Amino acid sequence: MGEYVLLCILFAPFAGALGLIFVSNRQPLLVRGIAAGSAFISLIASIYLFYAYDPVKGGFQFIQKIEWSRQLGISLHLGVDGIGTPLVLASTILLFAGIFVSWHIKDRTKEFYIWLLILAAATIGVFMSLDLFFLYFFYEMSVIPMYLLLGMWGSHTKKYLEMTDTEGMKLRDSVGFIFNFGSNSKEYAAMKLVLFLSAFAVVALMGILLIYKYSGLNTFDILVLREHAQLMNIPVLGTTLDKIIWILVFFGFASIAPLWPMHSWSPVGHAAAPAATSMLHAGVLMKLGHFSIIRVAFEILPETTRELMPIAAVLCMFSIIYGGFVAFYAKDTKYVIGYSSSSHMGYVFLGMAALNYISLSGAVIYMFAHAMATGMLFAMAGWVYDQTHTRDIPSLGGLSNKMPFISACFIVACMASIGMPGTVNFIAEIMIVVGSWNKYPLQVIVAMLGIVLTLAYLFKMMRGLFYGPMNQKYGHAHDAISTVDRLPLLIMISVSIGFGIFPMHLYDVVRSGVDPLIVKITEVVPVARSGDGAGPPSAVGPSEPMVTTPVVASEILPTPVLTSHGVSE
Amino acid sequence: MIFSLNLSFSDLLLLLPEIFLTCWLCVVLIVDFVSPRLPKEQLAYLSVAGLAITLGCLAWFDVNHISGALFGNMFVLDRMAIFFKVFILGATILVILSSVEYVNRFTLFRGEYYVLVVMSALGMMFMASANDLLSVFVSLEFSTLGFYVLVSYLRDDLASNEAGLKFFILGVFAAGLFAYGISLVYGETGQLVFSEMSSAQATPGLIIGFLLIFAALGFKIGAVPFHSWIPDTYHGAPTPVTAFLSIAPKGAALVILLRIFLVALASFKPVWVYLLVAVSIVSMTYGNIVAIAQRNIKRLLAYSGIAQIGNVLIGLAAGTKMGSDAILFYLLAYLFANLGAFAVVIAVSQAIGKDEIEDYRGLNRRSPFLAFAMLLFLLSLAGVPPLAGFIGKLYIFVAAIKEGLYTLITVGLINIVISLYYYLIVVKQMYINEPIDPSPIRISSPMKTVIYVGLAGTLVIGIYPQPFTDWVVEATLMFSNFVTPSATAIPSTIHVGS
Repeated sequence: MGEYVLLCILFAPFAGALGLIFVSNRQPLLVRGIAAGSAFISLIASIYLFYAYDPVKGGFQFIQKIEWSRQLGISLHLGVDGIGTPLVLASTILLFAGIFVSWHIKDRTKEFYIWLLILAAATIGVFMSLDLFFLYFFYEMSVIPMYLLLGMWGSHTKKYLEMTDTEGMKLRDSVGFIFNFGSNSKEYAAMKLVLFLSAFAVVALMGILLIYKYSGLNTFDILVLREHAQLMNIPVLGTTLDKIIWILVFFGFASIAPLWPMHSWSPVGHAAAPAATSMLHAGVLMKLGHFSIIRVAFEILPETTRELMPIAAVLCMFSIIYGGFVAFYAKDTKYVIGYSSSSHMGYVFLGMAALNYISLSGAVIYMFAHAMATGMLFAMAGWVYDQTHTRDIPSLGGLSNKMPFISACFIVACMASIGMPGTVNFIAEIMIVVGSWNKYPLQVIVAMLGIVLTLAYLFKMMRGLFYGPMNQKYGHAHDAISTVDRLPLLIMISVSIGFGIFPMHLYDVVRSGVDPLIVKITEVVPVARSGDGAGPPSAVGPSEPMVTTPVVASEILPTPVLTSHGVSE
Repeated sequence: MIFSLNLSFSDLLLLLPEIFLTCWLCVVLIVDFVSPRLPKEQLAYLSVAGLAITLGCLAWFDVNHISGALFGNMFVLDRMAIFFKVFILGATILVILSSVEYVNRFTLFRGEYYVLVVMSALGMMFMASANDLLSVFVSLEFSTLGFYVLVSYLRDDLASNEAGLKFFILGVFAAGLFAYGISLVYGETGQLVFSEMSSAQATPGLIIGFLLIFAALGFKIGAVPFHSWIPDTYHGAPTPVTAFLSIAPKGAALVILLRIFLVALASFKPVWVYLLVAVSIVSMTYGNIVAIAQRNIKRLLAYSGIAQIGNVLIGLAAGTKMGSDAILFYLLAYLFANLGAFAVVIAVSQAIGKDEIEDYRGLNRRSPFLAFAMLLFLLSLAGVPPLAGFIGKLYIFVAAIKEGLYTLITVGLINIVISLYYYLIVVKQMYINEPIDPSPIRISSPMKTVIYVGLAGTLVIGIYPQPFTDWVVEATLMFSNFVTPSATAIPSTIHVGS
């Protein structure tokens, strides 16, 4: 492996998708085997990458450069830094887990795995691109598989299914259905997602093209551009060029994050998507936004970032609060998780906006942590939906009798989502909060409120799904018993708790990516380098096992006892 | 102007592809006449063989850098002419292959169909080489003549007859404009050869003359406001003819536009850039917005074609060497995606007999291969990575942004999103909706070949564009410093070998 590890991670899923084309749908086991195999190769390679990445050396490692178009100045330039590495790892974990989560898909299995693998590979491609062109290339490439995954294997909401009149059907197939905001069909969700993301992607593309033109270097290479591009102080339209580019890039990419006024595609999309797609979507696809902002705006326009990042600090408050309240009142499991994701992504923006070592590292770790937590939640919401064919919380209840394993895992996932000590989310949250306090105290208070809201809506949903009187209609529902069904949840739980207890390597890796950025942006040299800088998490470390142990043990404990325990905490 | 008619053997070499194809055309006609019992597929393969040999000959020219000019610069064979000839021949081969099955729908003159297609191709090959307004006019009319017949080939179909009539009337009108334009330009400059016009003064007569010529060529490529024939003609014509019409004449007209704008009118760039920007913006926006409302797949592709031409004109408006590279590259991407999409339309209409978008319901269940191919072709037309159309669009935008055409690029980018919507409507029908009649669709083997070629082109150009960008960059070397008009003069001696 060694230096080709990035190519291996990136192309294993592509190769898997290519191989699947030649397999017949009549051999479902072979289809799943190929998908799982290619995801496994990718996963192993990315674990290797994560541990082989040298945080002391820092910078971009495992660089691959393949010339692609001389005329346009494009090369397939791959490389990861401390920010990309954990996100690549998160993508491959979620892909691998997602393949097992969707093990029971019967309809057009082969096509499902092809698009899922392409989606994941495109996402991974963004996280390792060092070329603006390929960053956009993979970014845009991830959108279309989403359309097909949502449209072909997605599910309608309850409200939509009640609209069965022919007139309504006709309306939904018509041209005007894009404007028909009342409908919550999967087609609507898929189309909205694609159009939203593409519309904002071309905004970002405009920014990228302006960078290309005004740098005058005839290259899209980020490493060259960040050293040599002179984009400052060019007056355009009453302001300066760098500000225009920054705004285009920021809002273009923030839409997928999704930042508050541009978030509306996201919960609808989550709700319609099949479980594995929601996992990848919420787990990693949304992080493309933050990551691309860091890679493009932070790297190439550091001074403008310092000047304009307060925009994010303002908007993230709305993200957190709005998402939290909608999630609290939502009646649909996937809407709750979807809005909670968009609310939690506000924390990442807060961490990014504060622009210091602790908060930005916290933001990056939060992206990783949130991928695991939300992946678990979506996997389980998907399981419940598969068993009951409804996502309507009020009509469900008491499922813990039928599915004790799922409900135990659900508690763990809720804990992780809330940021319980012992999970990696806690470390991330505390870093964001501590890091941002000096600069944005108001936002930190809002974020705290958001955590309380998270607790409220997740527990409300947990109670609605798993406790209380059981709806006898769902008596046939059963638990995840086989290894295949349990494996993805166990993987995500162990990653979440594992890094919660031993965050050192993750922290070092992230710091090595964050430090040079912050130096560039704020021109403040870090006081404590990695050894000493690991202070906050290690200080937290010893207290964790005590808290964590009951959570792990909860898997075997009878559930009702545990809930009262969990709520009181 | 002196016409020298004493052609040497090496002069004839430059004309070899055309001469060979003319002879082959006669052979096809004679074979059809002599053995009327011969299955018409054989005629198709015979025509394809002739076209393929011609293609091989042109490839040999291209590799050996054979170039030159004939008849007092009326006919030039430069790298760009070779590129467009290859382009036209490639399109013709694919069209003939995709009509093998379709031809059985014609009640009469099945053999002549292939002859007419090859004849139009021959006319367009001359257009690619035309370097003089007169030869442009003659070759343009020559190629259009074949199309007039082809469009109304479904004799008993009212729509086809209507399409033919519309195309004919507007086509003749455009020819009239063109001839009038030529006379004005000749009257003002005393020149017909493009490269000798560059020193002309901007007199009203010259401006009107070129506007008329632009209108006539705009008719050929179907740019707004000269597009009115496109939807009806595309809809009514036999689908393989629509496919042919949607790609080859556009290529042939674009080579003339390139020669006119970048050679003859190079010094007027600050003026014509506004014209092209306006036409481009209107074409893109109109084409895409009207395409949303279409119910018929051929009409949808017709309007999307109008929008695509708007995109191509962005490259022309850039008016640089890079802009023309981008146009050539874009056309390559468009060739595979568009012909592929039409091939799928033909295959589906062979099975279902209709081509409404509604008929594509559940195509994924009926024929996963066709649905997948259509998906990729439509996405390539929309410009989604990693397909050829994306690189083509990006190439054009990069060329335009270097010239600072920000408005144009902004409109172009917005249009990508609009176009994505209606392409996805088709995708939705194919993939998301369930079929009413789930019987599988059978595809004939020539059709499969066309679709495979389309898929290969769309994917290979999208994933590894380097050889293709190299090719287009060499093809437009003549524009490399067009700003100084003298540099575009074409060498009058023939260079064989390099």
